[in-house]
Amino acid sequence: MEVTTRPVRGGMFNVEVLRGGSGSPVLFLHGAMGLNWDGFLDELATRHTVVAPFIPGYGGTSGDEHLLDFHDLITFFLDFLDAEGLRNLPIIGHSIGGMIAAELAAVQPDRFTKLVLIAPTGLWDPANPVLDFFVASPTDLAQALYFDQDSEPAKRAAYTPEDAEGRVAVALERVKSLRVAAKYLWPIPNRGLNKRIHRISAPTLIVWGADDLLNPPSYAQAFSAKIPGSRVELIPNAAHQVQEERPRAVAEAVLPFIA
Amino acid sequence: MKIEMFHLMPYRDLPADFAEKYHSVWVDIPSHLFDARKAHQYYNDTLDELEYAAAMGYDGVCVNEHHQNAYGFMPSPNLMAAALARRTSDVAIIVLGNSIALYNPPIRVAEEFAMLDCISGGRLVAGFPVGSSSDTNFGYGMNPATLRDRYYEAEDLIMQAWSNPDVFSFDGKYTQLRYVNIWPRPIQEPHPPIWIPGGGSIETWGWCVEKKYLYAYLSYAGFKRGKQVMDGFWNKAAELKAEPNPYHAGFLQLVAVADSESEVQDKFGPHGEYFYNKMLHVYPGFADAPGYRTLETVKAGLLGQTTAFGERPPALTFKDLREQGNIVAGTPKQVTEQLEQIIKDLRIGHLMILNQFGSIPHDLAMANIKKTATEVIPNLRHLWPEWEDHWWPQPLRNVQKPGPIYSQASAAL
Repeated sequence: MEVTTRPVRGGMFNVEVLRGGSGSPVLFLHGAMGLNWDGFLDELATRHTVVAPFIPGYGGTSGDEHLLDFHDLITFFLDFLDAEGLRNLPIIGHSIGGMIAAELAAVQPDRFTKLVLIAPTGLWDPANPVLDFFVASPTDLAQALYFDQDSEPAKRAAYTPEDAEGRVAVALERVKSLRVAAKYLWPIPNRGLNKRIHRISAPTLIVWGADDLLNPPSYAQAFSAKIPGSRVELIPNAAHQVQEERPRAVAEAVLPFIA
Repeated sequence: MKIEMFHLMPYRDLPADFAEKYHSVWVDIPSHLFDARKAHQYYNDTLDELEYAAAMGYDGVCVNEHHQNAYGFMPSPNLMAAALARRTSDVAIIVLGNSIALYNPPIRVAEEFAMLDCISGGRLVAGFPVGSSSDTNFGYGMNPATLRDRYYEAEDLIMQAWSNPDVFSFDGKYTQLRYVNIWPRPIQEPHPPIWIPGGGSIETWGWCVEKKYLYAYLSYAGFKRGKQVMDGFWNKAAELKAEPNPYHAGFLQLVAVADSESEVQDKFGPHGEYFYNKMLHVYPGFADAPGYRTLETVKAGLLGQTTAFGERPPALTFKDLREQGNIVAGTPKQVTEQLEQIIKDLRIGHLMILNQFGSIPHDLAMANIKKTATEVIPNLRHLWPEWEDHWWPQPLRNVQKPGPIYSQASAAL
């Protein structure tokens, strides 16, 4: 894996992109909790060139101040794809990244060969509300994100540095990321995808952790019902960070689908 | 020195086990705890207390805006101010204020404040708070990532609406108006004094200095922690070469006055504890939505440069609260001395006093107002004689008094 920078719109944005693997390209859009090169991306990289950009405001991607709303964010991603020369490729998105992926696939249905939505946000069912993860206590949030609190990914997420400086840095990075997520998901994660989702024409796979307490699995059916021909894959013993928790199981569903 | 009476109008009858049994006093407090008959009494008591303070010699009366809570439920302080404008004649009406980013379009605030200024004969102070995270992000669903940007745009629009004599268009990021032309316009020209109630955001200091707006630090952390914040403001003022006029700054303080130590403890102790242990029982998640505070302020908070955010205070006794400086309580002499010290240490020309806090009942609030007004305030007025207050309303010379309250008999005449 290498960390690269891609200028977009004449340098208005400098996008930090994680790249790895070889083969035909696949775009991965990360979730609200941020981007790490994890076991799932390793699996993808065995057969594809993975392109995983940080959303502006996350990681090292600059230019967040130029984006006011979700519409601006989608336009930014179209510019990013143009700058990368990416078309005719599968797109995979997790959580807020899934919401972006679905929107992009609705806006430019011809651009993407396949669509993989992993526990995407973007729809709202008052009977099954998405957890208000912006205010959840650390314990509740950990349980919503990870099925097994003793697993490596859960422990990595809970890690707090010993030194004060390190703790401040971790806390600031967290506020910085959640602020960006809030810009697109506040107060309810519904930016009108419901009105545009019918335009998605790419074959679609919907992957969900069966124990997702953040974005309840009932939304898998809601997405599936709105995307004709889509298929749902429920992964047992996994919560919202499903591909991080069960990289092999998710890859086994995703790799044949995008092949 | 100017001294104003501030009223939050809290819910005075929460159950004794509120903090143990309920999640938060703000945002999701259950409605079954609310009794509208009691609210009838509270609203009228509050207006009576503020009117009494005005009659007893306070320089101004302050009301403010909060939403979805039992801590202080004047969602529209302008309604309270309108009532006060009719029943007072010479005090400043200080609305502290309207959370301008919440109004769509924000010229609603320009209009209502202009109405209040016209009704009161030019006695309005216009407060523009960002608003707490609980109020704005949770109660009103405003996006925390863009709230401050929206706030600055709203301030710009309102100030233009008040000062531009022509019909103009406004093409903002959040508000677009083809025709801006408010009727009425304020009596005070070019506009009422602007006060900015702050909660400790560090960028607000420089903004207030540059705009020449009064900075009012409203916190219940008491004067000891308040000093950290006010020092931050004055350091910024010095850095920007603004004159250190104490009237440029205000501070809020809970005050309880009685004739003896034991009387203070007996009469006010339970109410002080009610305030700190119930009214401030806010679920930490509701105190600070991500993005509500700028990264600079969050960083300053994490590094301990300003007050800590989002942490539930431990249960406090009245004794703790006095010792920590959260509540200034005692005999008139003790309170006068302590307030004088605060005024000088924080370098403030405006002291806003909460004489009713927590569950203080009406009669005790009235007694507290009377004692403070007659035995404390007269001994503080002499402070800062060398400075001029540029942040005070300029009312009409002859403010029209309301007509009589008609009875059926008098109306028939």
